[in-house]
Amino acid sequence: MQGDTIVALSTPPGSSGIAVIRISGPDSIGILEAMAPGARAWDPRTLHNRILRSGDGEMLDDVMAAVFHGPNSYTGEDAVEISCHGSMQIVSAIIEESIRAGARLAEPGEFTRRAYLSGKLDLAQAEAVADLIASETRLQARVALEHLEGGLSKKIAAIETRLRTQLAMVEVSIDFPEEDIETYASAELAAVSDEAMREISELLESEVAGGKLRRGIRITITGPRNAGKSSLYNALLGEERAIVSPIPGTTRDVLRERIHIGGFTYHLEDTAGLAETGCEIESEGMRKGREAAGAADLVLFVVDAGEGWTGGALEELEAHEGRNRLVVANKADLVPGGGETAAGSPTGGSRTVAVSAVTGEGLGRLREKIFEFTTNGEVSSVSRERIALNIRQGVALRRAEEALERLGKELGMNSPVEILSLEIREALDACGEVTGRSAAEDILCEIFSMFCIGK
Amino acid sequence: MYDVIVAGGGHAGCEAALACARMGVTTLLVTIRRGDIARMPCNPAIGGLAKGQLVREIDALGGEMGLCIDHAGIQFRMLNRAKGPAVWSPRAQADKAAYHERMISAIEAEECLDLLEAEITGLAMADGSVTGVVTADGRELPAKKVILALGTFPNGLMHIGEKQIPGGREGEPPSCRLSDWLSGAGIERERLKTGTPPRLVKGSIDFSRCEVQPGDEEPSPFSFRTGRLVVEQIPCHITWTGEKTHAIINANIHRAPLFSGQIKGVGPRYCPSIEDKVVRFSEKPRHQIFLEPEGRDSEEIYVNGLSTSLPADVQLKMVRSVPGLEGAEIARYGYAIEYDYFPPHQIHSTMESKKIAGLYFAGQVNGTSGYEEAAAQGLIAGINAALALHGRGSFVPGRSEAYIGVLIDDLVTKEIREPYRMFTSRAEYRLSLRQDNADERLLRYAARFGLLPHGQWERMIAARKSIQRARRRLEAENVTAGEAGTVRAARLLQRPGVSIDDIEPLLTAGPLDLGKRERESLEIDLKYRGYIRRQARTAEKLKRMERRRIPDDFAYGEIEALSAEAREKLGKFRPETLGKAARLAGVRVSDVSVLMVFLEKAGAWRDADDR
Repeated sequence: MQGDTIVALSTPPGSSGIAVIRISGPDSIGILEAMAPGARAWDPRTLHNRILRSGDGEMLDDVMAAVFHGPNSYTGEDAVEISCHGSMQIVSAIIEESIRAGARLAEPGEFTRRAYLSGKLDLAQAEAVADLIASETRLQARVALEHLEGGLSKKIAAIETRLRTQLAMVEVSIDFPEEDIETYASAELAAVSDEAMREISELLESEVAGGKLRRGIRITITGPRNAGKSSLYNALLGEERAIVSPIPGTTRDVLRERIHIGGFTYHLEDTAGLAETGCEIESEGMRKGREAAGAADLVLFVVDAGEGWTGGALEELEAHEGRNRLVVANKADLVPGGGETAAGSPTGGSRTVAVSAVTGEGLGRLREKIFEFTTNGEVSSVSRERIALNIRQGVALRRAEEALERLGKELGMNSPVEILSLEIREALDACGEVTGRSAAEDILCEIFSMFCIGK
Repeated sequence: MYDVIVAGGGHAGCEAALACARMGVTTLLVTIRRGDIARMPCNPAIGGLAKGQLVREIDALGGEMGLCIDHAGIQFRMLNRAKGPAVWSPRAQADKAAYHERMISAIEAEECLDLLEAEITGLAMADGSVTGVVTADGRELPAKKVILALGTFPNGLMHIGEKQIPGGREGEPPSCRLSDWLSGAGIERERLKTGTPPRLVKGSIDFSRCEVQPGDEEPSPFSFRTGRLVVEQIPCHITWTGEKTHAIINANIHRAPLFSGQIKGVGPRYCPSIEDKVVRFSEKPRHQIFLEPEGRDSEEIYVNGLSTSLPADVQLKMVRSVPGLEGAEIARYGYAIEYDYFPPHQIHSTMESKKIAGLYFAGQVNGTSGYEEAAAQGLIAGINAALALHGRGSFVPGRSEAYIGVLIDDLVTKEIREPYRMFTSRAEYRLSLRQDNADERLLRYAARFGLLPHGQWERMIAARKSIQRARRRLEAENVTAGEAGTVRAARLLQRPGVSIDDIEPLLTAGPLDLGKRERESLEIDLKYRGYIRRQARTAEKLKRMERRRIPDDFAYGEIEALSAEAREKLGKFRPETLGKAARLAGVRVSDVSVLMVFLEKAGAWRDADDR
């Protein structure tokens, strides 16, 4: 049944700075061999230290890897496990290289499903396997949905719409040759195709390959006004990026900077303080802040250790219920007896850290907590899913780009219309993987709404 | 007692009955009127885009339609000649009477096949299986299998303006009791609508004011069994509606049953009535009209493009507003017809009912439209009924194998909400499903079922061998051609505009030994080689999924890991294979994954034929 070879990141990124990538299927060992050219033989079930390289010889990482021959592997198929450094850049690069070499990204729960189908798991585990598939699917859907609201899929959807119109015009000329209607024009199709290809290339450069994901894990600082959020932001950055003042409401826009903790890239955001206000600019700032916190992997909720949970702070914290969050009791140096008790810690002691952004007290512990809460459990599977989504989008967009490139060539050669259709469909199909629309399925609907058909 | 009784003598019924009889099972074809066997109630043409491919496939499977139209055709055209050969489609104008007569003689020539004029009003049943049919006069005719090919007769209701006439076709009563009987037996039914334009008296038309549309200079036959076609062709004519026509329609739109709420069934979007076109595309200044003869000597002209259910007086005014038709007389008025169909999620892909064993549905009763679509289903129902009687496995071509496969797969995996018509854009593997290679794709099945006339299989094998020989030569021999230098012949052929005829004189080992048809087929294959290979990879994956069967009684409701929508769709359609399950709208990749796990648990795969 399986036939093809799948790849996925199997550990949450960052546990001990090491990530494990699994490849399973008939081509898995060949793919590893291709990434480690000239390497000595691989003894089965033995860890080897090797340098992995891309097809053009660029070094990907120095890894530990092992090969397993079916049926003596987790999935029962030929399989490979690569332990690489935990950075997302490296993980993405190795997975992308495996895909170029013929693997495809695994579907939710697919490794376990294959193990089950190879008789590696016992029959009674069917429910558990199905539940795993379902829960990973939900996770994937959640990440995809969060992403859908972003700019990339909107841009792809716009490209998709133009290509669909062209496909409808191409198809109508094939299926309704005797109609008195105007159909596609090669010059216009070529223009639309070129434009789409250019936009996709740009998106690949800016959004997918180098952008978003590589910026790292998102942390948003929020909390009541004047709790010292910007001071904490500066303290974590180690530089004066945000303007701090004793005047409540100094911060009005969302500020973003990168920080590194434990070899990881984090994307730290400072937001406007939360309070009742009649000021429109300030309200807008708070709205943006809430939006940022909504999309964050970790919310740092900052309260003034001396003030505690007064003035609606508790309600604001509850708004982040169910989200990965840490309470930071700031200005701990001003509170005798330590900030944790003073803050009342409604999230429980393990999710509260007392710090002083001014003296630097507790910052080390906060960094540890940030690392802990972003590399384990829920949030890290979200990050793993983000990596997968990013790679999936990259692969899909490159497929679209290639199809459009071929389309351009076919148009140049005056190729028959059904060949043009083939390439437009391929491009649409690939775009659909990003936007979630099933590409060419309803092209007939498009035709019937655009054209007056029917002799 | 007959092995099979076929109800309905239209295109589906005729193919079903002939296939059964030819496969050696005793068959009775029951029709209300013998004179209406293989009648064409709508346009006088066979073939067209995707439909032409269907006819070639029916022919390759031993069906009768191709031979009938080759005999009855009065104008032949290969559509899309200006485009790539993958989308060429044969079409022919038919002499309706000649078509009917040719089909009657084919039916009468079959020893195992009898004909009976009667109306079937119900079925005889025992233990959930059909055991025969009951006729209007109360007789019970026993049979082991029954094929229902009732067309638009079930509760047919015709509309001409405000006038409503119960009927299956013009001048014929509807069949209400059988539809009600089926409904009573738990078969779901829904309503669809279709329509037909008026017919004009030939002598009343001024053809000099119309454009002439002639047939091809060299007509291409539909049947692989027909040699060279020698036929005197008759032209069609083209004219256009104009502002005057549209004004008449708009002024009377309140009298159109389609807009007054009188018609409730859903009509086809690809074949709208003229009133629908004028309303929906009001910016279009004119609509094209084809004047097509109903036969070589017929006095009636079919007005293609003017399908309508407007009242008779409006129809006449509307017709006379069209150039060339100023003095036209209407011989028969256009009408819309609403009828019952039985949504095809209720049948297996063998066309057999899921509810009543031994009962098959074919043609418009499944919600399709078109003579060719109907004939294809009749053929498949007939073949499967006969195979079942012989105790042999079923036959359903795949989506990558035939348009017939696309048709059947769509019927059992899609919600059919408007009359279903075939289009080439429905076929994922359009480049392989061509009119020129239908024999290569399907003839072997016909041979296996005993549906081929003597000698045809041997002829095809010989032709295919000569193609193989020529193909090997083109792939091996180098030719030197001007600017291209010295290249492999097959490679040169992949360039646009280069044909085998251009290359043949350059071959140093002498000319290829190839007939015209074989030459064309090889050329197309080589030209598309790269693309076909690309598609073949996805087709292979599809086939693997198709081989994974799902038990009919699989308990989807108990699998909580399936999404709610998937559970509902899977429960309604009860797909036969994992591939069909994956094609249902609302079933996601992860649902398929979950299904795979539970199928394994149920041990269902161990019964699969390839394991």
